[in-house]
Amino acid sequence: MISLKNIERFYNQGLQKAWVLRDISIDIEEGSFVTIMGPSGSGKTTLLNIIGMLDQPNNGEYYFFDEPVHKFRERKRTELHKHYIGFIFQAYHLIDDLTVYENIETPLLYKNVPRSQRRAIVADILDRFNIVAKKDLFPHQLSGGQQQLVGVARAVVGKPKLLLADEPTGNLHSTQGKIIMDTLAELHKEGITIIQVTHDENNIKYGDRVIELWDGFIKNDLKTAEALSASQ
Amino acid sequence: MIFNNLKIAWRSLRRNKVYTGINIIGLAIGIAAVLLIFRMLSFELSFNKDFENYDRIARVVRQDVNASGNRGYTTCLPQPAGDAIESSITGIEKLARVKELWPTLTVPSENSNIPSKKFNVADAETAFFAETPFLNIFDFEWIVGDQAHALDAPGNIVLTKTWAVKCFEDWNQALGKQLLLDNQIPLTVTGVMEDLPENVDFVFPFLASYETLKANPEDYFYSEGWHSCSSNDQMYILLEDAGDWDLMQEAIAGIGAEEYVGRNGTRDHVHSLQPLSDLHFSEQWQNSGTHRISKKRLSILGAIGILILVMACFNFINLATAQSTLRSKEVGVRKTLGSSKMQLTHQFLTETGLIVAAALILGMVISTFCLPLLQHISEVPNELPFLSDYRIIAFLLITGVSVTLLAGLYPALSMSRFRPVEALKSNYSNSQLSGSRLRKSLVVFQFVIAQGLIIAALINIRQLDYIQKIDLGFSDDLVYTFGVQVDSATLHRQSSLKNKLLQIPNIEAVSLSSDQPLSGNTWATNFRYASRPEDEQYAMTMKFCDENYSETYGIEPIAGRWLTASDTMREAVVNMTVVERLGLDSPEDILNQTVRVSGNDLKVVGVTEDFHTHSVRQAYKPLLMTTFKSYYWQAGVKMRPGDLKGTLSAIQQVFDEVLPEQVMDGQFLDESIAEHYGDEERLSATTKGFGFLAILVSCLGLFGLATHAATQRLKEIGVRKVLGATIYHIVGLLSKDFLKLIFIALLVATPIAWYLMRNWLDNFVYRTDMPYGAFIIAGLLAMLVAFLTVSYQSIKAATTSPIKSLRDE
Repeated sequence: MISLKNIERFYNQGLQKAWVLRDISIDIEEGSFVTIMGPSGSGKTTLLNIIGMLDQPNNGEYYFFDEPVHKFRERKRTELHKHYIGFIFQAYHLIDDLTVYENIETPLLYKNVPRSQRRAIVADILDRFNIVAKKDLFPHQLSGGQQQLVGVARAVVGKPKLLLADEPTGNLHSTQGKIIMDTLAELHKEGITIIQVTHDENNIKYGDRVIELWDGFIKNDLKTAEALSASQ
Repeated sequence: MIFNNLKIAWRSLRRNKVYTGINIIGLAIGIAAVLLIFRMLSFELSFNKDFENYDRIARVVRQDVNASGNRGYTTCLPQPAGDAIESSITGIEKLARVKELWPTLTVPSENSNIPSKKFNVADAETAFFAETPFLNIFDFEWIVGDQAHALDAPGNIVLTKTWAVKCFEDWNQALGKQLLLDNQIPLTVTGVMEDLPENVDFVFPFLASYETLKANPEDYFYSEGWHSCSSNDQMYILLEDAGDWDLMQEAIAGIGAEEYVGRNGTRDHVHSLQPLSDLHFSEQWQNSGTHRISKKRLSILGAIGILILVMACFNFINLATAQSTLRSKEVGVRKTLGSSKMQLTHQFLTETGLIVAAALILGMVISTFCLPLLQHISEVPNELPFLSDYRIIAFLLITGVSVTLLAGLYPALSMSRFRPVEALKSNYSNSQLSGSRLRKSLVVFQFVIAQGLIIAALINIRQLDYIQKIDLGFSDDLVYTFGVQVDSATLHRQSSLKNKLLQIPNIEAVSLSSDQPLSGNTWATNFRYASRPEDEQYAMTMKFCDENYSETYGIEPIAGRWLTASDTMREAVVNMTVVERLGLDSPEDILNQTVRVSGNDLKVVGVTEDFHTHSVRQAYKPLLMTTFKSYYWQAGVKMRPGDLKGTLSAIQQVFDEVLPEQVMDGQFLDESIAEHYGDEERLSATTKGFGFLAILVSCLGLFGLATHAATQRLKEIGVRKVLGATIYHIVGLLSKDFLKLIFIALLVATPIAWYLMRNWLDNFVYRTDMPYGAFIIAGLLAMLVAFLTVSYQSIKAATTSPIKSLRDE
């Protein structure tokens, strides 16, 4: 599904290049649940953004379902992105001016889904995530866990093939975090591919593969079981 | 999608109330200004256009070239020139001679000499003697009577509806009724027509037949000579084909090729056609309407309106780009949710559109309330039919769309270009927007205009003040003037009028004359000095005045004495310009010399200092004053201070007693002189008004930017305060940036304003020196207003506790 070849990403800092990612080559199968780990500044988020087509590498090739994303113009990338990819953020990033219902509805608007269909899809999702009662509230009226639940609902409402989660539980306490992770696990079971970035060891076990970054390089790329045993 | 965009726009605008408010108010002011100006322009530009034959009608006018090469422009057409046009030029479908007049019209009573009703034709109106085709050239709306022959015979008169009602209560009753022109010429009503619309250059209360003029040549100066003519004698023609202009101009120019050749062998006068479309805008030729306005003045107004609207749009751009950093997160999220640039651009444009729509409505309200103010700068009638005038609706729509694009497109495009990865970072600064420099340039631009207009207004005021305070050379204080009709029946009552007026206790002097010292009237004639063999090369301006003119208007001879009483022309008093033009060394040299004017030999008995006979836009003209009872159309009464009201009613009483058949229309001299400066007053009011608007709009924008700057620098201010900065430091810090911009704007505005105002002042013969203080005052004023605007936000920021501003999320 995803194939990265020799991806490099750097920023120009004065006269020097500040390297963020170096020589990253990964293949990710459809239906897998990958965890990206690593200390702060190791390039996890940048890698996630590149996979999510929000950021472009300086060098290297990126194939998404065998399509050469690195060759596409922005318009085409936006098209791919909005049909195949959902995003979950650490800080939830709900739109303050929109209600829960409208936040979830937004991706469908951008996909030009007709109104009646939108209503059915959103109602379905609200039901599934048990937030029907909250649909007319604004984000600031919700707890962090509830906001993130809306964030997940919003990410999957468009039925993406790939779900990218950047520290989805980073701002939550453990019970709320567990609810979110359980939700992700369930989505994975239904066949969606998930890539998460996390610090939290507890979240690793939900996935089937762990990629560890260190100063922009891939340090380890292991099955979850191996990774867990390696760390102990 | 549109519905969603609207919903989001509405919520986001409601959340940022200050921002939304400033934007709406700023734009509304701009829109109101533009609407008012549009109203004015569309009114002025609509003049005469509704006449069916608009593009085929012309007036015959004349250019005069004197020996020194100066050009004069007059509407006068001598009778034989008119005859020549009629007989020798083909391609003219119809032509009509007219003569302007401002008479008294009375309804005779059955058994008395005193009329039952009497009306003066006011200065603002102009009655005509007109030939019958006048009614066909212009498609006036006819009500009753035989239109084809209504003006065929002497004594025929056609009334407008209002005047028919005035005279006979009911216009249905008017046909066939009798009226008197100037209390002596009997008239029969042969037709009634609809009143004229406001947007035509005719404001006649009635038309009397041209044959009436021909039947009374003495009373109304009808003459058949090539060289005798007044600007009141005019001719309108209807071309057969609108495409014939050039040929026709050529033919008209040929008229008088022999007759107009002057003494030195060159041609003095050339006739040409003035298209009806030029009547309202001509800078050369008078019209018979209420006013003229040059196309140049109209374009200046239009430009000012557009500038103010553009300034309001700049406010919007400034605020929107400043605010955009606060919305970067939303842009980032929307992009990760799959929004395209186009969709985001639409969303932001919808927001702008909503603001513009609100501003349009508010602007309509504001302009409705401000409409009476328009009276100070224009002649537009005092009603604004917003929803009934399709042009206003179309204009509003066009304005709405173009303002939305002009104001909204740049911010929308730049925001939609945010890159999501960076936009989502919490410490995102507007590095992607080089907006800060753009904002500064826009603020500078706004203040260049605002300060330019303030400078122009100050110079206008100064010049107006200067010309109003200019020593006119005579006294206009407490002099009351009114017109009197002169004819065989009233001539002998002149002395009784004077004597009775002088018996009123508070009256110091009474004078009868052709016109007051400054009247704007030009009665010019050829002039020969003493034993010189030929006439002088310039025309002599004349006034006819009695022996009391000098004391009434405070004009003292500097050599010789004033005129003595006489019924006819005997003696003359001239002004210093005559002495200078004749090349004499001293005023004494001209005393007791004989001068010849209009075939009369007069003895010069006195010389006066020059005084202004025309608006001070014009230089002094050579002037000769002499007695001639038959031309005493105006009375001037010099009063003593105190009980003006009583004195005025005493004057009215005397008038009614001595001249019961006439109507008294009086005015204080200083008021009538002020009317000569109406144009300057209007210009001054225009620059003042729009200068104020410009500074208001600029300051609204500045307030918004200061609000933004204060919010954005809250943390910096907190740190500085912890480090020991006082409120003064902080206010200075925040104000300095803005004041710098305004200073730059002043530097830009100064040379532009200097150049333009220099040109404007050059129009005046008598003008104030360039008041350099105006530039300093404008600068200081702008800085002060800007400082006050900014300081509210600065002080608020400076007094915020640093504990609050430094606390992290």
